[in-house]
Amino acid sequence: MSENVTPTPANNPSDYGTASITVLEGLEAVRKRPGMYIGDTSVYGLHHLVYEVVDNSVDEALAGVCTDIEVVIHVDNSISVTDNGRGIPVGPHPTVIGMDTVDVVMTKLHAGGKFENSAYKVSGGLHGVGVSCVNALSEWLHLEIQRGGKVFQQKYAKGVPQQKVAEIGVTDKRGTKVSFKPDTTIFEATEYNFETLSQRLRELAFLNAGLHIVITDERSTKGHDFKFDGGIVSFVEFLNKSKIGLHEKPVSFRAEKDGVTLEIAMQWNDGYDERIFTFANNINTHEGGSHLSGFKAALTRSINSYAEKSQLWKDLKETPTGEDAREGLAAVISVKLPNPQFEGQTKTKLGNSEIKGLVEQMVNEQLSTWLEENPNNAKKIVGKIGDATRARIAARKARETVRRKGILDGASLPGKLADCQSKDPSESELYIVEGDSAGGSAKQGRNRRNQAILPLRGKILNVEKARFEKMLSSQELITLITALGTGIGKEDYKPDECRYHRIILMTDADVDGSHIRTLLLTFFYRQMPELLQRGYLFIAQPPLYKVSRNKKDSYLKDNEAKDAFLLNIAGERISVKVDGRTISGPELKALLAKVITYEARLEKLSKKKDARVLDALVQAATFVPSTLGEKEQAQVELDKVQEYLEARTPDVLDHIDVKRLDDPQHRSKKLVFSTEVNGSPRETVVDVEFLESPEYRDLTTLKESLKAFGAPPYMVSIEGEEKPFEAHTYQQVLKLAMDDASKGLGVQRYKGLGEMNPEQLWETTMDPERRTLLQVKIEDVVATDGIFTLLMGEDVEPRREFIEKNALSVTNLDV
Amino acid sequence: MMSRPVSATTTPCPSCRRPAPPRPENPEFPFCSARCRAVDLGRWLTEAYRIPTTAPELEEDEAPVVPDPDGDG
Repeated sequence: MSENVTPTPANNPSDYGTASITVLEGLEAVRKRPGMYIGDTSVYGLHHLVYEVVDNSVDEALAGVCTDIEVVIHVDNSISVTDNGRGIPVGPHPTVIGMDTVDVVMTKLHAGGKFENSAYKVSGGLHGVGVSCVNALSEWLHLEIQRGGKVFQQKYAKGVPQQKVAEIGVTDKRGTKVSFKPDTTIFEATEYNFETLSQRLRELAFLNAGLHIVITDERSTKGHDFKFDGGIVSFVEFLNKSKIGLHEKPVSFRAEKDGVTLEIAMQWNDGYDERIFTFANNINTHEGGSHLSGFKAALTRSINSYAEKSQLWKDLKETPTGEDAREGLAAVISVKLPNPQFEGQTKTKLGNSEIKGLVEQMVNEQLSTWLEENPNNAKKIVGKIGDATRARIAARKARETVRRKGILDGASLPGKLADCQSKDPSESELYIVEGDSAGGSAKQGRNRRNQAILPLRGKILNVEKARFEKMLSSQELITLITALGTGIGKEDYKPDECRYHRIILMTDADVDGSHIRTLLLTFFYRQMPELLQRGYLFIAQPPLYKVSRNKKDSYLKDNEAKDAFLLNIAGERISVKVDGRTISGPELKALLAKVITYEARLEKLSKKKDARVLDALVQAATFVPSTLGEKEQAQVELDKVQEYLEARTPDVLDHIDVKRLDDPQHRSKKLVFSTEVNGSPRETVVDVEFLESPEYRDLTTLKESLKAFGAPPYMVSIEGEEKPFEAHTYQQVLKLAMDDASKGLGVQRYKGLGEMNPEQLWETTMDPERRTLLQVKIEDVVATDGIFTLLMGEDVEPRREFIEKNALSVTNLDV
Repeated sequence: MMSRPVSATTTPCPSCRRPAPPRPENPEFPFCSARCRAVDLGRWLTEAYRIPTTAPELEEDEAPVVPDPDGDG
C-alpha cells in the first residue's frame, strides 16, 4: 500500500463511521423496498442487477474509453463483470467529506457520475439507480479497480463497506471488475439464465458497434463472444437471418443534432411480422415512445409519397396504412440523448417529446433520398406494401361479409336449406346438391329424419362477353357456412359446432359438376381442414346410366360399370370357337374385359400417337429397345407391322412415311411414323424412352395374356342366331359381343342429377343401404388444391391451355 | 404412386406458395400463417376464385351474371 499516491478517505475511523450512517439509511431503503428500485425480486430483478453493472461499463464504452466487457456467471450464481474502462475513481470524494469516491459511488443512491452531464454525455441505467442498489441487494460485492498503475480492492456486505479501499498491487492495465452475489434473503429467484443474459448482452453489442462483450457460464461450458462492427445493421441482419431480405442490405441512417445521436437500420423481408426494436441510451424501450412514433409517422409518409410519385399504387382502392408499410419490416432504432425520460408501466417508454420531431425529420429526408437512389429496391418494397394492402382489404371484406349476414347468431338457418329433423350431428347428413332441380328431387326423395339438403349451383360470370368463369358466389358460401354452423375465420370458426358429421357432395358427372366439386373441396381443405381430417366429407356416386333389360332397371355408375354389365350378358349368350375349342362363360368374359382394357389404353395413347400404328407394333411385332439400333432387325419388325396394317387397316398405308432417325439422347435410333388421323398429320415416335415406358410394357403384357384367345379366325356363336360369325381380331369379337348385348337394352345416360326422379335419386345415391360414398381424405385434396391453384393462376393463357388440354380427361379434375 | 402422409412433408402455402409447416405443428395448415388464411377467405368471399368454363346451357332461371364493374378481381 502506498499512502502518498492514493489517500484513502477512512484514515479517521470516526469520519468513516459518520459517513456510513447516511449510507446505511439509503441502502436500508433499497433493501426494504427492492421492487421500487429494480422492478421486482424474482427473475426480472435478479437479472436486472447484472444489467445495472454492465450498463456502467457500457457507459464507459459510450464515453469512448472502454472496448471490452466480460461477464461471468460463476458456479454459485454469483456474477463478475469486468471492463477495461477508466476504473472507478479512487480517493477522497470532493464533496462527501470523509468518504472515498469508490464508497460514495458504491453506496450512495444516485451518486454516479452519470448525473452530471459532463462526465457522461449520455448514459443508460434503467432507473438511474446505479450500482449502489446492486451493492445493497448483494450478500457480498467485491470491487477490483485498476487505475493509475495500481490495483485497488474494496469489499461490501449487503452494501456496507467491510474495510477501507485497499491498494493491493500494481498494473499496466485499467478497468473495473465488479463481483457480486445477489442476497438470497431478498431474491426469490437465485438462478441466472444464460440465454436471458446473453440476449441482453448481444443487444448491447449490436447497439455499440465494435464493443466486444464476452459472456461465460462457469456452471456449464456455454459462452458467447459478441462483437459487431456493423452495429445495428448487424442487428437487423440478425433479426432477418432466417428470412429472405427483400433488398440485399439493410438501409441505415445516422444523424447527430443538439447532442442527440440517432441511428436507424431497417430491412424488409419476405415475411409478415413487424419487428421494430427501439432503444434509448441502450435501454430497450419495449413500450416505444417518441422515437418510435416519429419513425412510424415518417416511414408511412415517405413511402406513400414515393409510391404516389411513381404511380406504383394506381390500382389500390385504399391508401396503405402504417401497418401495411411495416409488414415484414425488421428495424432497429437507437437514440442516444443527454436527458432521457422514461415513462410507462415498466419505465420503458421514451418520453422526450423533442425526439419525435428529430426522428421524423431524419427519416423523411434520408429514407426519401434512399428510395430515389435505389429505384429497384424501392419498387420491391412498395410492391410488397401494395400486396399487404390488397390482402388486408380482402380479408376485412370477407369478415365483414360473414358477420353482416348474421353468421354469428347461428339461430337463423338459410331458407335454401332443407334441414333434417335430427339434431344429433353424429347421425345427421348434409347433401350439398348441384342445381335447384336436383335439389328439389333430393328434398323429396331423402329421409328427412337425418338427411338435410342444400342446393348449390355456383355462379357463372360472362367476362368481357368472351369467356365464362364459374365460381361459388359469396351468398352460396355464406349459406353453406351458416348451414354447417361452424362459422368461419380465425375468431369465429369452430369445427366442433359442425351440425353434420357427413357432408356429402352430390354433383353431376360432367365438367360443370367437377368444377363445383373442385371449388367446394378446395374451400373445405383450406378453410375447414378439420372437417376433412375428421372424415366428415364424402362424394356421392350418382349413376351415369340407367339400363333396362327384361323390364328390370339397373343403375350403372360409369362406363366401366356399363361395360361390365354388357360383358355379363355376353358371357350368357356368346361362345367363341377357335382352334377346335370353345371359349365361353367366365373365361370369355375375362378375355373380353382384357380387350376392353387394351382398347382403353390405346385410346389414351392415341392423343399423341396413331393408335392403329401402335396396335400393329404391339400385336404384330416384337420391339425391344435394342431393336431400334439394329438396322436389319428393325426392318424385319417393320415388315410385320406393315403386314398387320395391310390386313386390318389398309387405309393407314395410304399416307404413311417411316423414318429411322438418330436418337443421340439414348445413343440409338428412333422410328418416326408419319400418318394421317382423320385428315390431320400425326407423328408416332417410337424410341427407347417409349419402349421402356410403363404404357408400352402394359400393352405388351395385355397382348401376352390375350394370346389365350388363340389364333384367328374366331367363330362367334350368338344365342338365337343360326350361323356363327367369323371374326379376325379380338376387337371384332368384342364388337360382336357388345352389339348383341346392347340389343333390346334400354340405356339412359343421365346428363345430370336433375334427370332422376326423387325415388331414383333415393334408390341409387341416397339410400344408406344401397349407395356408395367416396370418403375424401385430406391427402387427396392436396392434389386437388394444386390443380385448383393452377386453375386460379394469374395468367389467363396457361390456365386456358390447361383447361383445353384436359377438356377430354375431366377425371383429372376429380378426386 | 405411393401416397405419403401429408404431415410428413411440407406443402406450399395456398396463398403465398412458401412452404407451410406440416399439420401437426401448424394450426394454420394448409397455410403458413393466419394472415394467409384470412387472405384466402377474403378471396373466396369476394368471388375471386373462378374456374374458366364454357358457355352455360341457358335455362330460364339461369342467365349469366353481368360482371359487377366495381367487383374485385
